[in-house]
Amino acid sequence: MIISRNRGIKRRRFLSGTAATGLGVLAAPAILRAGTQELTVATYGGFFQDSFDEHIFPDFVEQTGIDVNSVSAPTGEAWLTQLRQAARAGEAPADVSMMAQAPRLRGEQEELWAQLDRSAVPNADNLPDHFVHGYDEDRFYGAGAVSWYITLVTNTEVYPDAPTSWNALWDPENEDRLGLLALASNSFLLEITAKTHFGGDDDILESEEGILEVMETLAELRDNVRLWYRDEGQFQQALESGEIPMGQYYHDVTGLAAADGQPVRSTFPDEGAVLDSGSWVVTRASERLDEAQVFIDYMSQPEIQAKLARYVGTAPTVDRELTDLTNDEFAAVASDDEPILPRYELYVERDDWVSQQWSERVTGG
Amino acid sequence: MTTLSLDGLGKRFGSFTALADVTADIPSGAFVCLLGPSGCGKTTLLRLIAGLEPPSDGRLLVGGTDQTHTPTHRRDFGMVFQSLALFPHLSVAENIAYPLTIRNVPRARRRQRTEELLELVRLPGMGARRIHQLSGGQRQRVAIARGLAIDPSVFLLDEPLSALDANLREHMQVELRELQQRLGVTTILVTHDQKEALTMADIVIVIKDGRVQQIGPPMEVYRNPANAFVAGFIGTSNLLACRLSAQGQHVTVAEREIALTPGDVVQAQPGGAAVLSIRPEDVELSPSVGDSDLPATVTFIRDLGESVQVSLDCGDHTLVATMPPRARPDAQVGAQVGLQFASGRRVVLAP
Amino acid sequence: MSSNSLHATPGWLALLPAAVLAVLFLVPFGIMVGVSFAHRAPGGFFEPGFDLTSYARVFTPFVGRVIVTSVTLSAAAATICVALAFPFVVFLTQLGRAAQTVILVFLLAVLSLSEVIIGFSISTLLSQTAGIGNLLVWLGVIDAPQAYTPSLFALLVGLCYLGFPYTVLVLYPPVARIDPELPEAARVMGASPVRIFFTVLLPMLRKPLIGALILVFVFTLGAFLLPQVLGRPVHWTLSVHITDQAIFQSNMPFAAAMAVILLLVSLAMIGVTLLLGGRERGAR
Repeated sequence: MIISRNRGIKRRRFLSGTAATGLGVLAAPAILRAGTQELTVATYGGFFQDSFDEHIFPDFVEQTGIDVNSVSAPTGEAWLTQLRQAARAGEAPADVSMMAQAPRLRGEQEELWAQLDRSAVPNADNLPDHFVHGYDEDRFYGAGAVSWYITLVTNTEVYPDAPTSWNALWDPENEDRLGLLALASNSFLLEITAKTHFGGDDDILESEEGILEVMETLAELRDNVRLWYRDEGQFQQALESGEIPMGQYYHDVTGLAAADGQPVRSTFPDEGAVLDSGSWVVTRASERLDEAQVFIDYMSQPEIQAKLARYVGTAPTVDRELTDLTNDEFAAVASDDEPILPRYELYVERDDWVSQQWSERVTGG
Repeated sequence: MTTLSLDGLGKRFGSFTALADVTADIPSGAFVCLLGPSGCGKTTLLRLIAGLEPPSDGRLLVGGTDQTHTPTHRRDFGMVFQSLALFPHLSVAENIAYPLTIRNVPRARRRQRTEELLELVRLPGMGARRIHQLSGGQRQRVAIARGLAIDPSVFLLDEPLSALDANLREHMQVELRELQQRLGVTTILVTHDQKEALTMADIVIVIKDGRVQQIGPPMEVYRNPANAFVAGFIGTSNLLACRLSAQGQHVTVAEREIALTPGDVVQAQPGGAAVLSIRPEDVELSPSVGDSDLPATVTFIRDLGESVQVSLDCGDHTLVATMPPRARPDAQVGAQVGLQFASGRRVVLAP
Repeated sequence: MSSNSLHATPGWLALLPAAVLAVLFLVPFGIMVGVSFAHRAPGGFFEPGFDLTSYARVFTPFVGRVIVTSVTLSAAAATICVALAFPFVVFLTQLGRAAQTVILVFLLAVLSLSEVIIGFSISTLLSQTAGIGNLLVWLGVIDAPQAYTPSLFALLVGLCYLGFPYTVLVLYPPVARIDPELPEAARVMGASPVRIFFTVLLPMLRKPLIGALILVFVFTLGAFLLPQVLGRPVHWTLSVHITDQAIFQSNMPFAAAMAVILLLVSLAMIGVTLLLGGRERGAR
């Protein structure tokens, strides 16, 4: 099975190499402006959009009386570009968009996101600080939408015992056995390395010297890497067959594959798994700020977050205690351990520099 | 001296028999023409001799050695193809020297031989030309020179002159024949043109439907055809249905009895139906119809300059008579004439 | 007669496709060149301008090495493709009509396979768990199955698989058009099949062969998926890095600058090939 059944869930900033190219060009969403009470919501396409259309939006429409026009957005960067150009013309291809964190920060720098009334979104109180976004203390513009974990995954036939630490990636025993994400900005391996090898915190990534030092340590595992993957399907297949028995991958998808009988497991390492996420933001060209606030507030409810965990496979953005998720349900998508939080600003502020150093020092070398 | 022997050669393509049981001994230095209508198997026979096709039956001996299974490129033959098959990427000299290059002949010797051959085919100083710069006749000569480059034991030609216009063709026929006689190379030429065969050949092999009809010197085949097909195919012939008497003394044509004389050839069973073959030049006309004459009506007269051709109708048959202009009959179209067939020139064939 | 036919087709008719080509090819190309000089704005966008920063990044040892890798890989793939396809086509043209049709249709079908499918199929075929290694173990050739991917070998297999059908389709018409009496004539004149191949077929088909080389070279130069799927990072070509920059880093100016350089390098390689191919027979 080459194309994973969960392919759609794997969305984030990148899709597969070819798909992303096509989407970037073609995904011009149909804009319907029939009624006043209609909100256009852009989510990652495929499985994601299908799940929202099936499990989330109908209840929202029923409870709030606001119609939802669901559209699919291309990769974060391309969607950011489209929103930016549309905003200059005063157009809003979508009112509310689910954005990956790096493009969200870029939009923040340009003040592309409409300022919202924090008091109209009371349920944002449920969210931890890093999921409540504002230009400053008082200028609120968005909130966490969904999150997911990138964990240490292994093939259970090749590794009868689960590894416990990200250190396994550096173990000489694992030569030519790893599959890792190919880019600095989607693998978050710099954060993982900093956390694992530089004293448990990632302050070293504050400076360029520090980043180079981390890259040097990261480059030491190069001989262990069989595949630097951009296409998730390729790695998942290789992991399931045992061809590439260890690597980093998505916790929820790995769990689904295991439940399906595949010999794979996802482990939350001692140092923590990477918690990546997407957030709701509203383009400043939108004229439906009130409806957008209702929507974000609705999505921030613990019940809705629990529903997302059950049906879409994402980790709740709210505190677990607020939800009615059972231990099993929670474990299927998340962990209580402290996560490694990606330093998105690294990929916004030093984007070109990091990517160049990455390709020369880590993958290229 | 090399003699080429074909011993029961045959070729089948699936269930189709292209050629059956060809047996012939070809003396050294002979010019042989394989003659027959298109599709008769003559080209197939040439390809069997060249080794381009393996025979289904029979053997091929060159100078007494069995070469039936010798690969083509080890036979040391020369060949000129119908398309000439000159290499467009090589110059005239390089084309001619190709078989020498393949045999690793030293460069100086190669150059000398190429000059000789260009001289031989009357193309001196043309060695540096490209093939596409040559006229049709010049290409012909290059192909011939290339085929002769190694002094082949057998020289094969597959209708090489068919693409030329009539004048040039006749000229090349004579030239080729002279060249062959000068070099004394055993030569086999495929042609469907009986005049070409008569012009050049020492021996003609007439083939029809994959079977040999007759082998012999051209004039013998002309004078003494083995059957009606050969009589009709070699030159023109008046073929008249007749009956041969029980003793074989005379034939009956259109209710006239014609007594056979010494020199006439009888190849039919006495007392049965037969075909009387008379060459146009052997039909004699007289203005009055004598008792032994065959009465006929003149239907057309063609003055061809060097000869006169008279078309005749005698009831069941139409005939053609030719004669020199000085013997032109004093008769008009529609006139009644009497026909005689020159004695000693009559051939009675099986029907 | 040729002047008649010239008059029969009005000249302006040719302008139409020319104009369409200009719009569909030159305009995007012009935009790409323009973008390559654009100023990269912080935050993933670019502003029009004349900025050489992207080219400065192209002219680094790292990108230089990537270009050498790309050119070497594509040149190797082109050479292998043509070396395999040429004898194959010669063999093909000697088969019966029906067999030729079946094989050509099969090759056309292969053309419809995307890089993705080819990449995954070959990576499976060369894998440790499901690949030919297991067959070799079963045959007793090797002791334990091993993976042959990712590797240079796997990548070249992939690139050649991609280029081979095109090579055959480019070479088939000229080979089929060769008068069959030409190789026969060479045979009668004493040339073995191998000598015929080298003294008649090869020189006569020099131009189509060079054409096929260039086609596969340019075609595989654009492959960006196979190097990722079948190659190690050292085999990542310029196309992979262009894709990374354009899709994942949103650095359009840098991606465009690399694309412009890739285009110039391929044009230079094509020029050199034509020059070398043409020199051998300057007389023509």
